[in-house]
Amino acid sequence: MRLKVIRLVILYLFLFITGGLLYLQIIRGNDYFLLSLNNSIRVVPIESRRGIIFDRNGAVLADNRFSFDVAVVPQEAKDKEKLFDYLAQVLKVDKEKLLKTFKRKITASFVPVVVVEDVSREAAIILEENKFRFPGLMVRTDYRRYYPFREISAHVIGYIGKINRSEITQLKEYGYTAQSMIGRSGIERSYDRYLQGQDGGLQVEVNNRGQQVRLLGYKEPVGGQSIGLTIDSRIQQIAMDALQEKRGAVIAMDLETDEVLAMVSYPSFDPNDFVSGQSYKAAGLFHDSSAPLLNRAISGLYPPGSVFKLPIVVAALETGKITPRTSFMCQGFYSLGGRSFGCSHTHGMQDLVQAIAHSCNVYFFNAGLLLGPELISQYARQFGLGSLTGIDLPSEQKGFVPDRLLRKKIKNRQWYKGDTLNFSIGQGDTLVTPIQLLRMMAAIARNSKEVHPHILKTIGSLGVENNSVQEKLEINEKNLETLKLGLREAVQDEEGTARLLAIQGVSVLGKTGTAETSGGRAAHAWFVGFCPLAKTKIVFCVFLEHGGTSYNACAVARQILLKMQEEQIL
Amino acid sequence: MQRILEQRIWIATVAIMTFGLAALYSASYQNARVERGIFYDQLVWALVGLLVMFLLSRFDCRRLFSMAYIFYILNIILLITVLIIGRNILGAKRWIEVGSINFQPSELMKLAVVIVLARYLSQRNTFPVFSVQSFLRSLSHEFIIPLLLVVLPMLFIFKQPDLGTALLLLGVFIILIFASGVRLRFILPFLGLGLAVAPFAWHILKPYQKERLMVFLNPSADPLGAGYTIIQSKIAVGSGRLLGKGWFGGSQNQLSFLPERHTDFIFSVIGEEWGFLGAAFLIFCFFILIDSGLKIAKHSNDRFGFLMAVGIAGILALQTIINVGMVLGLFPVVGLTLPFVSYGRSSLMISAVMLGILLSLNRRRIIF
Repeated sequence: MRLKVIRLVILYLFLFITGGLLYLQIIRGNDYFLLSLNNSIRVVPIESRRGIIFDRNGAVLADNRFSFDVAVVPQEAKDKEKLFDYLAQVLKVDKEKLLKTFKRKITASFVPVVVVEDVSREAAIILEENKFRFPGLMVRTDYRRYYPFREISAHVIGYIGKINRSEITQLKEYGYTAQSMIGRSGIERSYDRYLQGQDGGLQVEVNNRGQQVRLLGYKEPVGGQSIGLTIDSRIQQIAMDALQEKRGAVIAMDLETDEVLAMVSYPSFDPNDFVSGQSYKAAGLFHDSSAPLLNRAISGLYPPGSVFKLPIVVAALETGKITPRTSFMCQGFYSLGGRSFGCSHTHGMQDLVQAIAHSCNVYFFNAGLLLGPELISQYARQFGLGSLTGIDLPSEQKGFVPDRLLRKKIKNRQWYKGDTLNFSIGQGDTLVTPIQLLRMMAAIARNSKEVHPHILKTIGSLGVENNSVQEKLEINEKNLETLKLGLREAVQDEEGTARLLAIQGVSVLGKTGTAETSGGRAAHAWFVGFCPLAKTKIVFCVFLEHGGTSYNACAVARQILLKMQEEQIL
Repeated sequence: MQRILEQRIWIATVAIMTFGLAALYSASYQNARVERGIFYDQLVWALVGLLVMFLLSRFDCRRLFSMAYIFYILNIILLITVLIIGRNILGAKRWIEVGSINFQPSELMKLAVVIVLARYLSQRNTFPVFSVQSFLRSLSHEFIIPLLLVVLPMLFIFKQPDLGTALLLLGVFIILIFASGVRLRFILPFLGLGLAVAPFAWHILKPYQKERLMVFLNPSADPLGAGYTIIQSKIAVGSGRLLGKGWFGGSQNQLSFLPERHTDFIFSVIGEEWGFLGAAFLIFCFFILIDSGLKIAKHSNDRFGFLMAVGIAGILALQTIINVGMVLGLFPVVGLTLPFVSYGRSSLMISAVMLGILLSLNRRRIIF
């Protein structure tokens, strides 16, 4: 009995699906047949707009502009010769080249192939008006990334490019498609997930001339979120101007909030080159020996020179190897085993504050030898050298702080006393990035263990919380004060190395560095300092690659500070 | 009668397989994306499947009675394993890799559930109900315990996530419990409860499953994503009209408009290329197969065999109806294969094994 019920239910369900089949194929069959005949359903993707990037004052750093692409639908282009002759004539490009691009990029007969990207408005209008004469011709509107500040903020903002094959396979699940543009460096890359929108599209029914007959469905594109940065474009501009086409980097950071206000690197590039069709320009950037794509502020590795004396001071005071009153005699050089290690001047008798202010090498040779390489490495690492600052930009470099074991492991060489001498003044194997020295200076200026330089301020309308614990450094405050006194004297003292920065109305503390390089090239010039009393308390780092002595770095810093003072930012 | 049923099953199976292979050959005809290897793979496994059917029909499948629980427990372990170490294809963990062979334990579970339910229900007699206690006892014996036997694997399969197979198990449970003669007063309240709870189940669905259900209700809601498949599938089937566009003639198929056209949506290729006559004939073949299964059940003279035959026929019927209905846009897309036609080794082998058991039940009837 129940088996009969089951059989009947199954029979009715089978009749039901057969009925469905009958309806689709016999009753509606002709409609569907016509739909399939011209293959007349077409998906027209509507690209979403990428999020806009603002600076802290609301100035637009990355925007989208309208652009026009010329595309050809293969199955509708009946007379290709005529069509491409016409295109070549209007756009003034080689016909063979167009045909080649067209053939290379065909995927399916109904998918429009973009043959020329980003044509002028006039050309787009001419083509659009004559479209009816050439079946298969399409002018598509599109958004293109635009960077109004060009070279100035290129490294921070980065650039975008077409997604590549391996990235698609990895990111498919996150909604990336073969047409997606993806951030390649800078903020465009770090926050690509937010900037990226969701593409929408139309499903339309078209007739045999490719004209739309009916709209079958529409999915609205969702634009990406806009992102606000901590960057201040005015300071960016000032810093770039001050560098005056000298290779190097400038970073300025708000001392209280760890917000990076400016970060420039020279030589720079125009991120718009990656957007326009002129790919040869962008390709050239990769081969340029001056490495314009490198963000020297976070990815360039250089010896720190005398700036490295700061951890030495702290280490020596903390371990009791010296006191603030310990003095050493500087005769202009230090002899060790028949070799002479030079100082910049003959400083005579120097106490600690004087030694910092005058950057006396001999004093630090003595201090370094008292400490030994292990303690130096230990303190240098405590100040974050050799580790990432965690700034929200891609490709930050870690740098290197040597020690006895690492030297044995990597170079298979012993550690000699001479190495300790070099180590003490920031020469030798030590490599740092400008942002690391900036972080170290901020930690000292604020007496804070946690310094987190960052560039993101808002995503959409939401502010980014920055609730780091303000833990103090594990350093005796008296020792820190002594160090700061030295940093003040470097500017205030008549013979201080940063005398140039004694500016009316701004109190500057800081340390210079001149890092000698091998191969007979000019030394790297450093100045890292902070202004604790200014309206906006800033900590900054000026670095000139092969820029000569630290005097040059101070000159750049001076120009920046004066200009900021003039514009009433400081 | 016995001979006739056996002949019918063989003829229907071979006809369905042939249809499937022809469609698969066409689907991979001029396309780099769907490799030709798929066709030969399916051909080999179809032949293996026929061999397995033949061998099983010579084997006394009532022996499965004693193996039911072990088989079931092993299968549960496999399902847990697949969740832990399974291979991830298209965002779902359904496959286990043994050497070079991928294998889907959820397919095997269909069989295990039929066997375990057949055994459990065949040993239960219905007792008269005098009191509340006896009512509760027979309720739990006749309904709750078998329900738990099905719900346990369902949860694991749902987690994979494979909504289609999970729902299929539920369907088989309802069929078997109904066929076993459990009183309707046990079944109906639960069906009502299930329907009442269904809206809340919405929240435990995966986003893509929700999307599919939404799209079923309104295919043009997402014409680029999930709705695309349904729209293109309907166009493919509909454009086949009475006689079809001929082998290799389906433009929807040949121009790669149909996603998943070698697996879940292969029926749309058949509809497009063979038209209403071809597609209806295929449905008819399936009905013959299922009807033979029900006849074998009717003539069986033991409850275990009866329930096995009903369960197997039920699974085949549900899969056919749901798959075809989904291709035609009558049901939501849940991802069930069309037995013997869709590409997929696990599905094909399990279908063959189930028919083998059916044939064996048919043969052993008199000896028993």
